[in-house]
Amino acid sequence: MKNAIDTYFKPVRESYKTRVSRLGKAGIFVAFIVICVILSLVTPRFLTVPNLMIIVTQVSINALLAFGVTFVIITGGIDLSLGSMVAVTGVVAALFARQDTYPVIVPVLAGLLSGVLFGAFNGFVITRSKVPPFIVTLGTMTIGRGLALILSKGRPISNLSDSFNFIGGGQVLGVPMPIIILISMFAVCSVILKKTVLGRYMYAVGGNEQATRASGIQISNIKMAVYTMSGLLAALAGIVLTSRITTGQPNAGAGFELDAIAAAIIGGTSTSGGTGTMTGTLIGALLIGVISNGLDLLNVSSYYQQVVMGVIIIGAVVLDSVNRK
Amino acid sequence: MKSTVLTLVITASLLTGCSNQSTENSQGDGGKKLVVGATMLSMQNEFIVNVNDEMARKAEQAGVDLITVDAERSALKQVEQVESFIAQKVDAIIMNPCEVEASSPAVAKALAAKIPIINVNSETSTKPSAFVGSDDVESARMAMTFIAEKLGGKGNVVMMHGYMGQAAQIKREQGAREILKQYPGLKLIAHQTAEWDRAKAMSLMENWIQSYGTEINAVFAHNDEMGMGAVKALTDAGLKTKVIVVSIDAIPDALQAVQKGTLDATVFQNAEQQGSKAIEAAVKLAKGQSVEKETLIPFQLVTKTNVAQFMKKPD
Amino acid sequence: MLSDRDYLLTIRGLTKTFSGVKALDNVELTVREGEVHALMGENGAGKSTLMKILMGLLSPDSGEITLEGQALKNGSVNEAMKRGIAMIHQEIMAVPELTVAQNIFLGRETTGGLFGWLNDNRLNQQAKQLLDQIGVSIRPDTQMKYLSVAEMQMVEIARAISNDARVIIMDEPTSALSDKEVTTLFGIIRDLKQKGVAIIYISHKMDEIFTIADTITVLRDGQYIGTRPAAKLDIDTLIAMMVGRQLDSLFPESTIRTGKEVLAVRQLSRAGVFSDVSFTVHEGEVLGIAGLMGAGRTEIARAIFGLDRISSGEIRIKGQPVTIRSPQDAIQHGIGYVSEDRKGWGFVPRLSVKQNITLASLQTYASGLLIREKSETEAATKLIADLRIKTAGPDQEVMYLSGGNQQKVVIAKVLLASPDVIILDEPTRGIDIGAKAEIYKLINQLKANGIAIVIISSELPEILGLSDRILVLTKGKQTAMLSREEATQETIMAYAMHY
Repeated sequence: MKNAIDTYFKPVRESYKTRVSRLGKAGIFVAFIVICVILSLVTPRFLTVPNLMIIVTQVSINALLAFGVTFVIITGGIDLSLGSMVAVTGVVAALFARQDTYPVIVPVLAGLLSGVLFGAFNGFVITRSKVPPFIVTLGTMTIGRGLALILSKGRPISNLSDSFNFIGGGQVLGVPMPIIILISMFAVCSVILKKTVLGRYMYAVGGNEQATRASGIQISNIKMAVYTMSGLLAALAGIVLTSRITTGQPNAGAGFELDAIAAAIIGGTSTSGGTGTMTGTLIGALLIGVISNGLDLLNVSSYYQQVVMGVIIIGAVVLDSVNRK
Repeated sequence: MKSTVLTLVITASLLTGCSNQSTENSQGDGGKKLVVGATMLSMQNEFIVNVNDEMARKAEQAGVDLITVDAERSALKQVEQVESFIAQKVDAIIMNPCEVEASSPAVAKALAAKIPIINVNSETSTKPSAFVGSDDVESARMAMTFIAEKLGGKGNVVMMHGYMGQAAQIKREQGAREILKQYPGLKLIAHQTAEWDRAKAMSLMENWIQSYGTEINAVFAHNDEMGMGAVKALTDAGLKTKVIVVSIDAIPDALQAVQKGTLDATVFQNAEQQGSKAIEAAVKLAKGQSVEKETLIPFQLVTKTNVAQFMKKPD
Repeated sequence: MLSDRDYLLTIRGLTKTFSGVKALDNVELTVREGEVHALMGENGAGKSTLMKILMGLLSPDSGEITLEGQALKNGSVNEAMKRGIAMIHQEIMAVPELTVAQNIFLGRETTGGLFGWLNDNRLNQQAKQLLDQIGVSIRPDTQMKYLSVAEMQMVEIARAISNDARVIIMDEPTSALSDKEVTTLFGIIRDLKQKGVAIIYISHKMDEIFTIADTITVLRDGQYIGTRPAAKLDIDTLIAMMVGRQLDSLFPESTIRTGKEVLAVRQLSRAGVFSDVSFTVHEGEVLGIAGLMGAGRTEIARAIFGLDRISSGEIRIKGQPVTIRSPQDAIQHGIGYVSEDRKGWGFVPRLSVKQNITLASLQTYASGLLIREKSETEAATKLIADLRIKTAGPDQEVMYLSGGNQQKVVIAKVLLASPDVIILDEPTRGIDIGAKAEIYKLINQLKANGIAIVIISSELPEILGLSDRILVLTKGKQTAMLSREEATQETIMAYAMHY
């Protein structure tokens, strides 16, 4: 019996493509380690526990957004409304989080609910109208910004309750809350992507939508799910941000979508859909955070930081396209 | 110092001269209602919104129709908006310029069309009929002087820039550096942009704390949003009591923080006065009366001792 | 005997191999000035490969092409165009937003002045002259998108003439034309002949061939069969030349033991695509669907599987009428479908063999939302073994497998959903002969297990070797239902060409 199995599974010689592809996946991880090593050699302040904590805390908001957009990009879509969702959900949460009003659960649920609704609206328009996600979320990006300004009357909402401010500023056993939220969401998102039917269908839709449809899978349900999850995670990011800066800012999150998409792409999620992992995205987000922290430590002008980041994004995409050949 | 005195003199004369202006009936010669068009830098900016609110209030009192449009930080858009005001034949235009150079054509066009144009809050390179605002360089001088005095002229300072290249950032940096030059004991150990943003400022401050730890004696932030971010990061790190933070704008959050003692000082830029003076100038010019070419509204340093007088009653 | 000198175009000893399969084997074609030369053969006989080589789109492995006594450089589109070879495509390639004149001279715009200004007036005049030459009255400044298909074809011909074409290839030029338009086209073709232009004419329509062609060359399975003057051929002889081969031993014998009715289709129609198609398939029965390209075979399969809507008709599963609006519905009713477009509709290239196999039945291998990986792997491993899928393992990405193994993965996916009826659409297209034989064996196994099978194929031997009954379609209409005894390649071809 064993022999029969062996003949079927006699390893086919690993092709050149497979090897390059392996390299690509490992590449980002290697790059991350190399940059960390360089930074710790250049500045002794880099590799310290408090500094690493700060990096992860700072990264948490972008990482949460990046997790959401990873789902979306895997299905072959895109979500440009992330930054606006951060603002809307942050403002909604802040409206309910003013001191001496509601218990902390109310602003949290209100914020999350607004994110779910916003994301579901994206999904609904995309699946019903057949308008490309790029266009739809470009539109909702503006709508969201407007909503945030309307809800806040254009002014920051401050004087939030201490229990609400704990979400972004508190610590549990010495670990900042944003890190705890980040790690738990990373675990949840990884499981969804790797271990669930929904995750498998996401890869299938992004890899070949027609073949997935012909396998009896309702494509629109999957798309609704990913945009809604993106909204939910954006809401979580919005709540953490609002709590961290202790104000609901209608202008918050402008341009966040680009950092989140960059994290996903650096982490190996292909913009043409069908591939990507949460681990990759997390490393992508950490890489962005480490570079920005390291260059700040070295007092390098942010002008150069932007150039460095651009080079890394293009490098990641080039690596990905080499992969695909 | 000379300019401050000058400013005070001008303002004082204006204040007395215009004190009964608001009750005056603001009808043009033909007896029809005056129309003033206003294009504002960005209605997403709290300070600008405050200026505009006061303009609206003042316009209503004076019986003037005020049309406000939002240039959304685009100078091109602003020029187009002024063009359409000219086409509508408004009686006067108030512009809150987006950029020094790029918004200048709007001024030239209005002047060519013989419509008075008043710049409020910031300048353009082409001189308008009148300017109402404050000198950003002065605000930074005030803030940095406060730091210098607090530190006894000796210590390490870090500075958070606004969006690099914008007029306010350039002027506030200029003012800060003027004062730093006067105090050789003050050392600027790091400076970096946080793009006017609270969250970005917080991250930047966290990184600086890692980098310089207790070496930092004071933070100067180009606006209160960033100042608040720095305060948050310092408080979280348990360092706030050891570091002085000063910023500019006196937004409500910052005033509260000054009251609580977390923010050491902010600089009050008088939005109400800028708004009301702009409308007054517009009305006068529309009626063919003359006004001062430049009305400088003085800044005021807000510290714990005088913060109460700046706090607005909650809406 | 004519020597090569008497021919405008000669192709000799042309051979082309695609990954081990000979698409063309020592093929020849000789065309004289001013003649209409029909190129005939079944789907897959090698006609389009031959034409692609002539156009320079493909390079042959060996053989040579001579035009006007001079060798034609292989594999260069530029050279082919410069030497006067033009093709009127089946799907017309034009820029819809540009005008007729602009399309005719696209890439060869006459320019004037120091800066090379475009002169639309002059362009329009030149275009008008050309259009007059072929006797069509289309305004040269009309945008292409406002033209009918026939008019677009005329413009394409004008473009070819403007290129001083010596040889014009027409691939199924009448497929979208009305009878009246066909008459106009034939008029133009006769004019072109007068001018000494040679036409290579590819069509499945027998009546057209005998109306317009002077000479006929037949290809079969990439082999050159022969060239005859059209006047000396009749339809029966021509069909025999096209299909005349023996059924080989690829198809294992199987006894017919059909059971209960599984799938019944009554008067199924999809407006403008097919109409009034009725058939039944029973347990353990193979129903073949034959027809030429564009006859509506795939469209019927897609409609039954819920990928396209039907406009009328009824589908019954085991006697019960069912409504199928999506592949989901179809799978739930026990219908499986293996698409002819494997890459487009069959598999997800970046998912693994295992993940592709379980894609249509993943719910079975999940508790709630969580996938039970062990049972999933077991199920996939069993099918990999059963279907002899050659892979490095269940986790190998399908994109790295050969065509035949990719097809097996798709079939495995369909089988895992345990269907009662399977529709196999061109199941052996583009896969090598070894894998073909394995798939035939598999079909017979499924048949023995009592599964009802519908097989659509352009390869007549395949249809004849596997089917118990054969449905023949022409232009969306059912023209025959043949029993195994009645069916021969000749009868099928005859019905398929509606002769």
